[in-house]
Amino acid sequence: MKFGLFYEHQIPRPRDKDQWDPDAEHKMMKNALDQIELADQLGFDYIFEVEHHFLEEYSHSSAPEVFLAAASQRTKNIRLGHGITLMPPRYNHPARVAERIATLDLVSDGRVEFGTGESASEMEMGGFGVRREDKKQMWEEATREVIKMMTQTPYKGTEGQYFGMPSRNVIPKPLQKPHPPLWVASSRRETTMVAARLGMGSLGFAFETPDEAKERADEYFRLVREECYPIGEAINPALAAVTILSCFEDDEEAIAKGMEGAQFFAYSLAYYYNPFTGGNHKPGQENIYKGFIEAPEDKRWGAFGDAFRGFGGFSGGAAKEEPEDEVTRALWRAAQRGGCIGSPDFVTDTLRKYEDSHLDLMIFVAQCGARSHEDVMDSLYRTGTKVIPEFKERHEKHQKWREEQLAGVEHEINSTI
Amino acid sequence: MPTKVERIQDEALRGSFADAQAALKAGEYKKVVELSSAAYVELLRRKPEMLQGQQQFMNVVFFPRLGAHLVVNNDGQPEIVWDREKFSFSEAVTYFEFTIDKVLKAGL
Repeated sequence: MKFGLFYEHQIPRPRDKDQWDPDAEHKMMKNALDQIELADQLGFDYIFEVEHHFLEEYSHSSAPEVFLAAASQRTKNIRLGHGITLMPPRYNHPARVAERIATLDLVSDGRVEFGTGESASEMEMGGFGVRREDKKQMWEEATREVIKMMTQTPYKGTEGQYFGMPSRNVIPKPLQKPHPPLWVASSRRETTMVAARLGMGSLGFAFETPDEAKERADEYFRLVREECYPIGEAINPALAAVTILSCFEDDEEAIAKGMEGAQFFAYSLAYYYNPFTGGNHKPGQENIYKGFIEAPEDKRWGAFGDAFRGFGGFSGGAAKEEPEDEVTRALWRAAQRGGCIGSPDFVTDTLRKYEDSHLDLMIFVAQCGARSHEDVMDSLYRTGTKVIPEFKERHEKHQKWREEQLAGVEHEINSTI
Repeated sequence: MPTKVERIQDEALRGSFADAQAALKAGEYKKVVELSSAAYVELLRRKPEMLQGQQQFMNVVFFPRLGAHLVVNNDGQPEIVWDREKFSFSEAVTYFEFTIDKVLKAGL
């Protein structure tokens, strides 16, 4: 199993002020670059940078291509992932996407992972005039065309339903041939199966019990073998999940320094993705963090409640009491902590269960809520030195499992797992 | 490992999903959505508890809204409303996977 970092660029508003300090966004960006530089040195394999628009406090990452370009100049090995690029043409003209992906691939010496997606929040779709019922079709049409722009000389042009342009040679071309590895955001289980059928990696948010996860991995790789119609010229069979990380010397410290950030992540996510709150957000006026801090403890996981309590972890679901079965109880406890929040031993135990279910890539949310930069650096250092090494030693075994899964696949594979 | 279609016990539903799978391979995406949605409506008719209380929220609101959506009519019966005629590959797969998972979870 490999490891990555996931960046939303969260900045809670100060509780007692209407707006952020003038330097807050500047500091946050510079801190994030420091964190990524450290992660690269520690052997983390990937970063994934989101693209969101207008989601105040929850995500100030609206120009990921710029941030990733900066990261590329401060790192040597870490893979630079878009997690994800919003593909409906009203967000990004497909030719501009192709140009930016290729340019980033060139300046980073071929380290780009091309993650794609649609967006789902009312703030974003309404802001750019994207209709919810059309966004998947827009995603598919635009993604197919961007891949052609990266591989055809010249690009032949198209007259699609949502986008059209005449033949042009879209330049530059990416360094990785035929194109960087392809991913799609899979917040719904169905999209993981779309990913398999199109030969794309699945960037999943939700995760399940070990049995369910194993079943999902088995089905994903079966589809890659038997029912894959690649959207690109090379396939990227890979399953990734996202979880929240806070790794300190003991569980108590990890919870004290990491729980509030995890809760705010879930709370602000639920705020924007619940149409009743996110759809009625008052731009520039609302203080989500203040509402979060003043909420009763049992409401701090946000409007979706128990569904997010084990965000990215093996959710114990709505269970209120510890299950009797030993394995289930361990998972339930992990879920109550919100993923990987604990000592190195605790985090390692949790990750071993993901490893056993054949997950390819675990992506950590380390920067979230009001966590201090120093705490994030400390947590990354501990994870990189005390958790990741044993998984790196076992990665060869996982590679063998992948080879078995992909035996007989005739499509070109350009996965970096 | 048996495929999801092979794991469906009910013969009629298994046949519907087998036809949907064939339609997907043939590039007939609207047919995939039609067959999958019809199978889902049949599931809801056989399992009316799926339309009770919070279950209704999970099983109706979370049904894909990608050119066809599900409503519960005045008689309390589920029905599909078509918003457009043309569907993409990824939309067809989404309807197929959502509905077949629900059928399998219901043990049919």
